[in-house]
Amino acid sequence: MLVKFIGKHTPKCREMVRILSQSMDEPMPLMMRIKKRLHFLICCWCQRYQEQLRYMRHTARQFSEHADKASDAPFSAEAQERIKQKLAESAR
Amino acid sequence: MNDLQIAASRWVDDHGECLYRYALVRVRKPEVAEDLVQETFLAAVRGYENFGGRSSERSWLVGILKNKIVDHFRKLGRETSFTDMEFLSDEFSEKFVSIGFWNHDLGPHEWKPEPDEVMHRAEFWQVMRDCLSRLPEKIRAVFTMREMDGVPSKEVCAILSITDSNLWVMLHRARMALRECLEINWFDTPAGGTT
Repeated sequence: MLVKFIGKHTPKCREMVRILSQSMDEPMPLMMRIKKRLHFLICCWCQRYQEQLRYMRHTARQFSEHADKASDAPFSAEAQERIKQKLAESAR
Repeated sequence: MNDLQIAASRWVDDHGECLYRYALVRVRKPEVAEDLVQETFLAAVRGYENFGGRSSERSWLVGILKNKIVDHFRKLGRETSFTDMEFLSDEFSEKFVSIGFWNHDLGPHEWKPEPDEVMHRAEFWQVMRDCLSRLPEKIRAVFTMREMDGVPSKEVCAILSITDSNLWVMLHRARMALRECLEINWFDTPAGGTT
């Protein structure tokens, strides 16, 4: 009965994931925060989705520090030489 | 060679690779990343007198590069209507049953380990890079500015000439796609750790 009540009075999961994503960029209104908490009581998947949004943000923010581990395209020697020549001309 | 020419050449040796990789993950195309790095160094030469050593050389150069990348994205927004209809129309509808709840067999799996434990894994970052590369160019620009660089939403909208609503739709799609890609290619694999 409680599950049915919550299912009826909170956003469906398809809508909830959109709301969770938007809450990463805009404050979530109080009423929606309450609905979200209720929805999480009956839906572990949406709760996981929110955790994973935060997980992705946390790792994305660290990406630059680890860019060397993620790169498969070297900064070619030719490109470096070309840039050095341009700089030499510019710095005269 | 004068002192500035010597310093500029050293910048390329000391910081070129780092700047290139920083740019590449955001713009994806090697030739664009090279151009941005070149523009960064040229701007640094022109503005060297204003560099008072208040920050490290690398921080200073990365700061210039960030602005060059923003300019690149701004131009990207102006040149197109900034939509990618095929990608944006994919709501991953198969993940949900008709009345809108998760399909229990296709809902998000538990992700382990914790973020700080994967940070040192080179394989994870390669998967992350590959997943990001699958996003369309404009969507990736929005995601990298917002999620990697923490650019405020209003500023992203201004740079790309899009509305708040456009931004939220693009971010929602990007996050859904990235989540799915990371789950399939990392977290659900033996190397990744849920199994």
